[in-house]
Amino acid sequence: MSTPLLEAEALSIHTGRDILLDRLSFAVNPAEVLSITGAAGSGKTLLLRTLAGLPAPGAWIEGEVRAQGRRLLVTQDGALTPHLTLGAQFAELLAHHLGLDERAARQRAVAALEHLHVSAAARRLALYPHELSEPMRWRAVLALALAAEPTVLLADAPAASLDPTLRARLLDELAGWARETGAALVLSGRPEDGVTGPATRALNLDRGRLTESTPPTETAVNGEAPPPGPPILSVRELRVAFPLGRTWRGEDRWLTVVDGLSFGLAEGEILTLLGESGSGKSVLARAVLRLVPPAGGQVAWMARDLATAPPEAMRRARRDLQMLFPDPAAALDPGQTIGAQFDETLEALRPDIPAAGRARVIGDTLREVGLPDSVLTRFPATLAPLEAARAGLARALLPGPRLLVCDEPAATLSGVERETFLTLLLELRRTRRLSLLHATQDADTGLRLGHRALVLLSGRVVEEADCATLAADARHPYSRALIAAAEARRPALHGDPPSALRPPSGCPLRLRCPRARDYCAQAIPPLDEVSPGHRVACHYWDTNGSDAA
Amino acid sequence: MRSPATDTPWHMASRRLTAHRPAVAGLAVLAALALAVPAAPLLGGGVVADALSAGQGSLAFALLAGLIGGGAGVVWGTLAVALGQRAERAMMSLANRLMGLPLVLGVLLASGLAGRGLGLLAGMVALTAAPAVAVLTQGELRSLLRREFLTAAQASGLSGRAILRRHIAPNAALPLAAAAWTALPRALAAESFASLLGLGLPDGVPSWGGQLATAVRLGDPLAVAPPALLLALSLWSLCAIGDGLRAAAGGRP
Repeated sequence: MSTPLLEAEALSIHTGRDILLDRLSFAVNPAEVLSITGAAGSGKTLLLRTLAGLPAPGAWIEGEVRAQGRRLLVTQDGALTPHLTLGAQFAELLAHHLGLDERAARQRAVAALEHLHVSAAARRLALYPHELSEPMRWRAVLALALAAEPTVLLADAPAASLDPTLRARLLDELAGWARETGAALVLSGRPEDGVTGPATRALNLDRGRLTESTPPTETAVNGEAPPPGPPILSVRELRVAFPLGRTWRGEDRWLTVVDGLSFGLAEGEILTLLGESGSGKSVLARAVLRLVPPAGGQVAWMARDLATAPPEAMRRARRDLQMLFPDPAAALDPGQTIGAQFDETLEALRPDIPAAGRARVIGDTLREVGLPDSVLTRFPATLAPLEAARAGLARALLPGPRLLVCDEPAATLSGVERETFLTLLLELRRTRRLSLLHATQDADTGLRLGHRALVLLSGRVVEEADCATLAADARHPYSRALIAAAEARRPALHGDPPSALRPPSGCPLRLRCPRARDYCAQAIPPLDEVSPGHRVACHYWDTNGSDAA
Repeated sequence: MRSPATDTPWHMASRRLTAHRPAVAGLAVLAALALAVPAAPLLGGGVVADALSAGQGSLAFALLAGLIGGGAGVVWGTLAVALGQRAERAMMSLANRLMGLPLVLGVLLASGLAGRGLGLLAGMVALTAAPAVAVLTQGELRSLLRREFLTAAQASGLSGRAILRRHIAPNAALPLAAAAWTALPRALAAESFASLLGLGLPDGVPSWGGQLATAVRLGDPLAVAPPALLLALSLWSLCAIGDGLRAAAGGRP
């Protein structure tokens, strides 16, 4: 057994009043990847800073941290110096740590960037941080760390802002680097940040104590069979596009976000919309509620077209169609109490309830979502994330809807809170017999909760199946990548998503697809039926290739 | 946990304002000036009392022209947002272009050509301040209109008018007040500059700029100091309060 590169022994941190970290002991061996998960505020950042030898001011440290060789910390936001080119930052860091001159630093920078699959690495060194896309910026930050050849690399919530598909691949490459060079790698993040995937050992930080990580025992699962029945919501050839101004030839330019989408939703059904950010799922969710004006097509609720509905009919429809927003606190007016906003919603959507009866409806709904009445006199800024999520759910339930459109409803929640909220959502769906349209980028949650799923890419459906089928037998490489990322496996897609302003010809995935052939550039694949109810838009769905990795 | 009654957005905004130390100092200075300036004639003679009483003209005029300019700027920016994309682009590019010009010279030109009238001067000084306020207003309104709670209000079945009245107007009030406030120091500076050159307030209306001009003409350094210091102090306080208002309007608790 080799000696550990990083070792903490009975490490405690306290402020004199509160104990922040309580007697932590662990060791990280060469070529080992340790993940430390924990909810927001559990002390991950503090721990990593202390391990890196950068303790927070005003905190007392007891116990011991032993490290061999160079320790390097990648901070949470992955900040780069804004006024220096990448090349200059590499030169500065490598001159400081390794004493390299500029040419040697450049060579090493290119090697590190190429290790993380950055194309045209030498040219990127002339760029400033603001010229990099978010995925590229994270690759640069991590390459910067790799180039300095640390023996211990600590990464605090690395690439947490990226899509799971991109993040899983990047973390896997980072772990591969640690195994190759024999460095010790410590990754920290929230449970849903996917840091446990590439880890050889997973620890969980909870209220200042470390425990061996176990998957959450209580996860929200939808065990019901999908209800049969005719669709109550039907969307046909829906198109949403935003004007981008004119070209020099005077033609209008459009950014097409949703491109001819059709689906139906039966009563009581949960339909999952799955896709990376930018795939159009969120805009689709809003277009269904006419919160974003559609450019074409039809959305019919109970066989009535909403696109042409007069205001009064639209208001009647809004009673049935409600929405959960990704940031529930931001979806509440900061200037009004929760109670005033609930009252306003009821007044607008349920004029049949007399003013005196509103308080009772509001009280009942609050009890359903598990909030005390005192929340009514509070302002949104004072709510904790879970309270805000519950308040958003209560507001959506007030008018007695039949369909809830949920756009990443648990995006602001983490770990146990997330499962608590999703369980509540499922329970209320059952008792109130709601239909759900659930847009998410997390294939795990999406497929667990849903009956049927649509996988969206560039505003089009690329795969459609019921969730069990999709989880077991996804055929589209993009769906496989989303599922792999959710299971913290390495997705087979390479490169970054193309810009929505310049989509590639033919199949929108072809630049990242492991199965891509020449023909993919020529035609957009149609949705083919693979088996009853399972449709795939890929020219080569039946070539079950080597993209499982 | 604080009690809900002290957690209203207005309370939190005022907490943010009082947490902004320059703004608190600025408010104190301005309050002291507002008391001392009207009381100056009671102090009798002396350079300091003279300078204080000259503040009457300067501050009153800055308030008048600043209110006109701030109001015009807010209306300008609001109309730009309300009138649709093409109008917005035209109105804002005009405001941006005007902001880049030394508009104070326009004040001098107008006074020089048309004579020194109070109304004309107020109008021209207001015009120097309005474009910057319009640009701030448009930016504030645009970022407000992107906020998610307006979409949520729409999903709650509120009509466009109700959303405007109940959600947009209350949330816009403080940011727009902060934007309009920036017209006050601009107006004071423009008027003082014009008065310094003898093209500002009409004769007989005392002002700091006018006093400075007289003192410089007479070559009396002792007489230069009081109006110059008072002018600098008022400009600084107005700017500091403006910063505090912006912090109060923009910050999250």
